[in-house]
Amino acid sequence: MRAELHLARRYLGRLRRRTHVATVSAISLVSLALGVLALVVTLSLLEGFQSTIRRELVQRSAHARVEPVAGRVLPDAGELASVLQKELPNVGMTEIVTGTCLARSFADAIPALVDGRSGAQRVAVDQILAARLGVGPGEEIEVISSRRRLTPLGPVPVRARLEVADVVAPQPGREGGALIVPLAVAQRLLWGKPVVEAIELRDPAQPWRLARRVRQVLAGRFAEVRVDGLQQLHSSLLLALSMERVMIFVAVGLMLVVASLNLLCNVAMIAAEKRTDLAVLAGLGLTPSGLRRLFVLLGLAIGLLATIAGAGLGSLLAVILDRTHALSLPQGVFIVSSVPFRVRPEMVGTVAMLALVLAVLASWLPARSVARRDPAEGLRYE
Amino acid sequence: MSEPEQIVRLCNAAKAYGEGPRRIQVLEGLDLEVRRGELVAVVGPSGVGKSTLLHIIGLLDRPDAGELELNGLEVSDLNPEARARMRNTLIGFVFQYHYLLDELDARDNVALPLRIAGRTSRVAKGRAEELLSRVGLSDRASHFPDQLSGGELQRVAVARALAMKPPLLLADEPTGNLDRENSEMLFSLVRELHLLEGLTSIIVTHDEEMAGRCDRAFRLAPAGERSGYV
Repeated sequence: MRAELHLARRYLGRLRRRTHVATVSAISLVSLALGVLALVVTLSLLEGFQSTIRRELVQRSAHARVEPVAGRVLPDAGELASVLQKELPNVGMTEIVTGTCLARSFADAIPALVDGRSGAQRVAVDQILAARLGVGPGEEIEVISSRRRLTPLGPVPVRARLEVADVVAPQPGREGGALIVPLAVAQRLLWGKPVVEAIELRDPAQPWRLARRVRQVLAGRFAEVRVDGLQQLHSSLLLALSMERVMIFVAVGLMLVVASLNLLCNVAMIAAEKRTDLAVLAGLGLTPSGLRRLFVLLGLAIGLLATIAGAGLGSLLAVILDRTHALSLPQGVFIVSSVPFRVRPEMVGTVAMLALVLAVLASWLPARSVARRDPAEGLRYE
Repeated sequence: MSEPEQIVRLCNAAKAYGEGPRRIQVLEGLDLEVRRGELVAVVGPSGVGKSTLLHIIGLLDRPDAGELELNGLEVSDLNPEARARMRNTLIGFVFQYHYLLDELDARDNVALPLRIAGRTSRVAKGRAEELLSRVGLSDRASHFPDQLSGGELQRVAVARALAMKPPLLLADEPTGNLDRENSEMLFSLVRELHLLEGLTSIIVTHDEEMAGRCDRAFRLAPAGERSGYV
């Protein structure tokens, strides 16, 4: 192994003497490094956007939701709430009642989601509903429920006139309009009694683990409820993000495959050019497995240098672009004003491993062919 | 166990190149024995198979038929890995062209067989410097092949061939690319080292005068004709 390492180092280290091997190796190295750089920068860009989306999701959505397994009303809601409050004292808890009502203003009448929350003190409409109804803070809207009550004039829909206090950003992934009202208002509009449909919980310290903790608390005590975490509540969006990451990795990773094909060609060229040298090395006693190791080492060394250079420069570029906000986005297009980049060490590690594996594979094929050659053949041709 | 008297024993060897109508029989029914410590010249006309014979003895090529014993060991059926290890420890090669590696300086070229054998860098370099000194090139140790003359290159090649202290030295027209003066210097060097290192040497040469200065000369005849010591 010592001789193979020594030879690989000498073959690669003679760039100053401008030997063909060193020049060809340098070309392979640069192309592989560019592939690694492109993959690191692209994945950092993707991770930047996706982490922004996930952060928004965590900021604006419930981190866990307790719902009935069957039906719409949460059984033993009071006891459930007190257990959760006792066991998870630092977790924010909101009792929920939701349903669709007709929201009407002087301008229009459209179906809207009525979102009754125990923490809500005033009425807020989201930007979608505010735009559709043409209302803002201080204005009144009428909310008409599908529930009816009996009056001397016959059954009439339950209705309420509500003053809009705030206009808020819509929930992620919600397309229709919604209004957030105090729990009691929603209970009166939708049920006519003090029921709770779900309990939403928030723990900014550990948002992605909250559901598991809630399940542990409720295990064996409340069999008729189901606990969904962020993963379940936003499964479509998170699956789309994961798919996007995989597809981009595969697509941009093809650059690495092309670069390693270039490496394969170059190592094969080295093998052809060094035909006599290899025959001499075999003559001096380098075994076929030693010759194979020499070429794999050449490929691995090129791959290692390219990976270090590509991953280092790619990470640096991504960090600089992120810190300097060099790539700005038009206002209102996205939730951030510049293209975000985020370098994750495990992502860089995966790219590095892929590059190294491809480099070894690319050099393995010529190495195998070199090892099978008859030593006398190289000398005879010379 | 005592070492066998014959270091090389080739029996009924045959070798052909090509197939069909283009097939050329180079060696046929060839027998050759070389005793330990001998300096043997192999002579014969061009194309008769002198290099092929040397490649077969040096385990660089396999005969199509026949048996080969080196140092008392039947080597015809050895696998490529074992043949390579045997080349490293048992045989030193000097070719007509020096075949030094361009990327290595003279010292590293000479040290190469030792590194292949797994010796440490210090040991390999020490032995290389000792050998370069013996061939009169201690001041050229850090020179690369393109900085050395033809005669110097061949002397470095001789030093490399002896790096592992092999018992058998095979030289394929080592003076073929050199002028008269350098040829004489190189042959004298090989003969001196042959004696000092206790080698058995087989030298392929066209030079009848040089062959005459060897212990014995083996005349290789075209396939079908009788080859033998003269």
